[in-house]
Amino acid sequence: MLKIKNLKAAINEKLILKGLDLDIKPGEVHAIMGPNGSGKSTLANVLSGKNGYEIEGEINFDGMNLNDLKIEERAQKGIFLAFQYPLEIPGVNTNIFLKTSLNSVRKARGEKELDTLTFLKLIKEKAKELNIDEKFLSRQLNVGFSGGEKKKNEILQMKLLEPKLSILDETDSGLDIDALRIVADGVNSYKNKKNAFLIITHYQRLLDYIKPDYIHVLSAGKIVKTGNADLGEQLEKTGYANLR
Amino acid sequence: MTQSYDFNIEKIKNLSPEEKISRQKTLDLFYKSGFPTKQLEDWKFTDLNLILNKNFDTISNDINFESSNELKTIKNFEHNCIFLTNGKIISTNFDWEEKNKILIKDFNQKETTNLDTGNTLTLLNSALSSGGFSLEIAKNYKLKKPLVIYNYFSKNLKNKILNNKNSIKLNEGSELVLIDYSDGNTGGNFIKNTIEVVSIDKNAVLKNILIQDSKSNGHFYKYIKVSLGDSSNYENYILSSGLKLNKIEMEINLNKDISSCSIYSALNLMEDQHQEIKTRINHNSPNCKSYQKIKNVLNDKSKGVYQGKIFVEKIAQKTNAYQLSKALILDDDAEFDAKPELEIYADDVKCSHGSTSGSIDSDAVHYLMTRGISKKEAIKLLINGFLNEVLDKITNNELKIFLEKILEKQINGH
Repeated sequence: MLKIKNLKAAINEKLILKGLDLDIKPGEVHAIMGPNGSGKSTLANVLSGKNGYEIEGEINFDGMNLNDLKIEERAQKGIFLAFQYPLEIPGVNTNIFLKTSLNSVRKARGEKELDTLTFLKLIKEKAKELNIDEKFLSRQLNVGFSGGEKKKNEILQMKLLEPKLSILDETDSGLDIDALRIVADGVNSYKNKKNAFLIITHYQRLLDYIKPDYIHVLSAGKIVKTGNADLGEQLEKTGYANLR
Repeated sequence: MTQSYDFNIEKIKNLSPEEKISRQKTLDLFYKSGFPTKQLEDWKFTDLNLILNKNFDTISNDINFESSNELKTIKNFEHNCIFLTNGKIISTNFDWEEKNKILIKDFNQKETTNLDTGNTLTLLNSALSSGGFSLEIAKNYKLKKPLVIYNYFSKNLKNKILNNKNSIKLNEGSELVLIDYSDGNTGGNFIKNTIEVVSIDKNAVLKNILIQDSKSNGHFYKYIKVSLGDSSNYENYILSSGLKLNKIEMEINLNKDISSCSIYSALNLMEDQHQEIKTRINHNSPNCKSYQKIKNVLNDKSKGVYQGKIFVEKIAQKTNAYQLSKALILDDDAEFDAKPELEIYADDVKCSHGSTSGSIDSDAVHYLMTRGISKKEAIKLLINGFLNEVLDKITNNELKIFLEKILEKQINGH
C-alpha cells in the first residue's frame, strides 16, 4: 500500500529525513518510535503533503506517486493524518466542517454526497461510538476542547472518512487513561484486512492497546532497527541511547 | 472640479416657484465645494470626488420612476413588503398586520430634516431630493412579520444620481424588523444618495438589516440619523457587499436613559469594491449601551474602511460602549483602514475599542485540506466562520438561515 524508498526531506535547508525506507501492506499496523528530533513528525508531515519541505526519493501509495498529489487529493485517495496538535479553528462549526470534509472525499471517490439529515444521523452514530458528546459537534471546531476531546475528534474524522492508511501522530500525548482506551478502541474497531496504520509515538503505552505488527526505531532521520511488538517493551526498558 | 454636472431643479416634479428658488440656492451652495474629497477628515479614506471623476462622464438628476419589469421577492420567510423603484414607493403589502397601525406614504419633500452633517452630499440631497418614503408604526404595535423594503432600480440609470429622503418613526412600545433589500444591476454606474431619519420612542425596538443581494455598479451613500428614547433599542446589521462603492454613515443619538444600540457588519469585498462604515455614537444620557462589531474580508483590490467614534457626554455616567473591527486581508492589493475614536467627558464609564487586521491562517487551511477539502473551499469555510459570527444575535431562525445564505452567496462572489 505504502512504499517509501530512500526518502530524504529537508526544511529550511536542514536535512531531517536522511534516507528512509518503509513498506506497509494492507492489514498491517506499523509503529514508529524514536527520540525527540529523530524526524517522526516530519515523516507524518511529508506524507500528508505539508508545504515547506524539499523532498527526494520515492513515495508510492497504492500505485501512485504521492509527490504528484495535492494535499486534499491525498486525503481523497485514502491517507489520513491524525494531528499531534489538532488545530482550533474559530468560527467554523464542527458539523459543517465534518460534512464538507466527508462530501469532498465522497465526491472525489465518485460517491453520492450526503444530504444534511443523512449526514447528521451518521455523525451521531460515529460520535456515540467514541463517547463524544453531541454538543461538541455543534461547537466551533476544537475551540475550547480539552486535549482528549481534540484527539477523539481526530479519530472521529478518521472513522468518518474511512481512509486506507491512517497515520496517528502522537495521538496518545495528552490523553488520560480512559481517553486513551476510547481512542484505541476506535482504532481497533476500524482496523481490517484492507486498511493499514502508521502509529507514531514516543511511548509503549499506546501500543499496549493497539498491537503493532512491526515497530521501527527512527533515529537521526533513518530507520535503525525494525522488530515485532516485543521491541517496544525492550525500548521502554533500555531507552534509545544505545541505538543511535 | 473636472466633473461635468447636469443638475437641474426643473427636472423635479411638483415644486412651487418658492421651493425651486430655495432648492437652487442650496444647489449653488453645493457647487461651491462639490463632492467631498480626501482633504476632508471624514472622507480621508474615501475620496468621493476622485472616485466619481474616474467612473462618471457626467452626472444628471433627470430620472423617471418607471417600475423595472421584474420584481422578485424573497420566498424564505413570510413578510410585509414595500416596493421602491429608484427610491419611490410603487406598492406596499401589509396583509399580515393591522393596517391602521402602519402609516406608509411618499416622503413629503416640504418637510425639512434639519440635518447638520457638515457634508455637501446632504446639501445635494436637499436640493435634488425627489423620492423616498415615510413610515410610522403606531404606539405599542409590534409587527407580526418582518418588513422587507425592496429597492429596485430602472434599467436606464447610467450617469444618474438618485436623491431620496426616508423617515422612519417607531412610536412608544412598538417593534419592527426592517430589512432594506437591494437587488439587481442597472448596467451602468449610478449614484444613490439617501438620507434616513429614524426616531425610536420609549421602549420601542427596531432591528434594521441592510442587504445587497447582487453585484451592482451602484455608488451608494446613506446617512442614517437615529434618535432613541428611554429604554429603546436599535440594532443594525450590514450585509451589503457587492456594490462598487458604498458608504454608510450612522449618527446614533442615545438621548434617553437605558437606551441601547448595536451595529454588526459582515462584508466580503471583491474586485475594486470600496466600502466604508462610519459611525458616531452619541451617549447623551446615563446608563446607555452601545456595541459595534465590524468584520471585513478584503479580496483582490478591494478597500474596506471603518471610522467609528464613541462620544460620551458629561452627564452620560455608567455608559457601556464597545467597539471592535476585524479584517481579513486576502490579497496584497487589498486594503483596510480603521480609525477608532473615543471622546469621553463622563468619569464613570466603561468604553473599549479594538481593531485587528491580518491574513488567513495558513495552518488552518492546511488542516482543512488534509481532510480532503480543496484550498478554495477551505478558505471559504474560514471566511464564512469569520463573518458568520456577526449573525449570532439574530433570534428568528428562518431569518437567520436566510441571512446565512446571503452571506454564503457573498463569499462566493455573488
